Amino acid sequence: MEIDVALLELGAMMIVLATLGRLAYRFGLPAVPFYLVAGLFFGDGGFIPVEEASAFIDIGSSLGVIFLLFMLGLEYTPMELRQSLVANRVSHVVDLVANATPGFVVGLILGWGPLGATMLAGITYISSSGVIAKLLVDLGRLGNRETSGILSTLVIEDLVMAVFLPVVAVLLAGESAVAGFISGLIALVIVSGVIALPARVGHRASRFVDAESGEILLISLLGIALVVAGIAEHFHVSYAIGAFLVGIVLSGQVAERARTLLEPLRDSFAALFFVSFGLTVDPASLVDVLPIAVALAAIGAVTKFGSGYWGARHAGSTSRGARRAGVTLIPRGEFSIVLAGIAIAGGVDGDLGPITVAYVLILAVGGSVAARFVQ
Amino acid sequence: MGNNVEVEIFETPLPGIGVRYEFDTEIGRRLGVLVHRDGHRDMLVYCEDDADSCSETVRLSLVESASLVELLGGTKITERLSDLRQEVQGLSIEWVSLDDQSPLAGKTIGDGKIRTASGASVVAVLRGGESFPGPGPEFTLQAGDTALVIGSVEGVVTAHKIIAG
Repeated sequence: MEIDVALLELGAMMIVLATLGRLAYRFGLPAVPFYLVAGLFFGDGGFIPVEEASAFIDIGSSLGVIFLLFMLGLEYTPMELRQSLVANRVSHVVDLVANATPGFVVGLILGWGPLGATMLAGITYISSSGVIAKLLVDLGRLGNRETSGILSTLVIEDLVMAVFLPVVAVLLAGESAVAGFISGLIALVIVSGVIALPARVGHRASRFVDAESGEILLISLLGIALVVAGIAEHFHVSYAIGAFLVGIVLSGQVAERARTLLEPLRDSFAALFFVSFGLTVDPASLVDVLPIAVALAAIGAVTKFGSGYWGARHAGSTSRGARRAGVTLIPRGEFSIVLAGIAIAGGVDGDLGPITVAYVLILAVGGSVAARFVQ
Repeated sequence: MGNNVEVEIFETPLPGIGVRYEFDTEIGRRLGVLVHRDGHRDMLVYCEDDADSCSETVRLSLVESASLVELLGGTKITERLSDLRQEVQGLSIEWVSLDDQSPLAGKTIGDGKIRTASGASVVAVLRGGESFPGPGPEFTLQAGDTALVIGSVEGVVTAHKIIAG
């Protein structure tokens, strides 16, 4: 590795990211889709080649996923997960069926086989917790009645992923359906175990990790998250889910401090992850898949609005509140990209990359803009 | 509607954010408070025509919400104390009220030899609307005072007996 070239490549990338990020911020839009666009400028088919820095970007983007999911886990306590599981069960099923089906069907039509279709189903299903949570804060809608339903939908989707990912990870690794089933079962047991964890266990674990010095706490958290992620990956449970579960277990003051300490790390490495995903996509291929992506996005917007609207009405919102809930849930984001990354690494059809980029781009930006206009 | 009727408060957990509390006022407006996990509060005023959405959301820091509570006629000491109690295990905190039957009414704190006997301390005295933080041994207690005692669980029980009987 030529260090000077690598540094220049990384630096140029960061500057492009920052520029696009500023643009997004000015218009009150989520940054994630713009990071994806930034990735298109580099690497395959882009203006600026990235070669020397690619080893760092590879590992950096894995770290980005770990930090993203670790902090997502920190947002939730086992008790909140339990409450969300119990409430509005029917609407979570409606959400899953309505939004996963289009991806699955399109995947089959494109001839990707059941596994590729399942990956696309996950991609069309999962809303972006990051984009939506930020939207709710920005629009001052945390107090709204429909907000609790929106948030619990996000929680449940993330939980579904925690079981879904290990299954597909094993299948993508070329193992048998039986192995996939077993892996899913193990994941289900582990996830249920973490959710059922009494608060005091989380507190005890957190106290054990806690350190007075922020520096030591940070290093401890990194060590634990990476070790658990590594173990999870070794057993094909997906390192992302390992990090997510560690985040859920930590609670109280440690979780609070961890959020502050890890935020800058997450922001830097997650940006790297989104760019690196964009790197693998040739802008030219984006044009080829655009019709499919637009169709998927249109369907995805309608099904998400429908399931969100139905769920909110079911929970007793007025039709206005339900309309807001439906539109707010439309943005897809980081998790869809994580899924696509895993799928491509596992050898699913190469078109999945550009389709996902376009899909996320359309729905993250379009959904955020639409949420502003629906009062 | 009588003024003594307690307000019915609805509590909604918001995963990843905190807890939201709301209630309807007598004149038909809906108010709420969103307690974020880091402790800061959002005061929520709901729209008149759309009870599902807020027309105003005002972010308040811990100190600001305590001041608002005080202006509205509550007391911020109780909340501070409950926080304190959660944070320090094995520490007991108690308000001890004195009436004219109490052994220490009309006597100084030093007379009770509270610290020697129980290990607990009187850290503040409330009298009328006034507070006396950190009273010394020469401080004279009166009937009607409320003493704030801190110590071990047993220590506070002993101190309670010395002060109030």
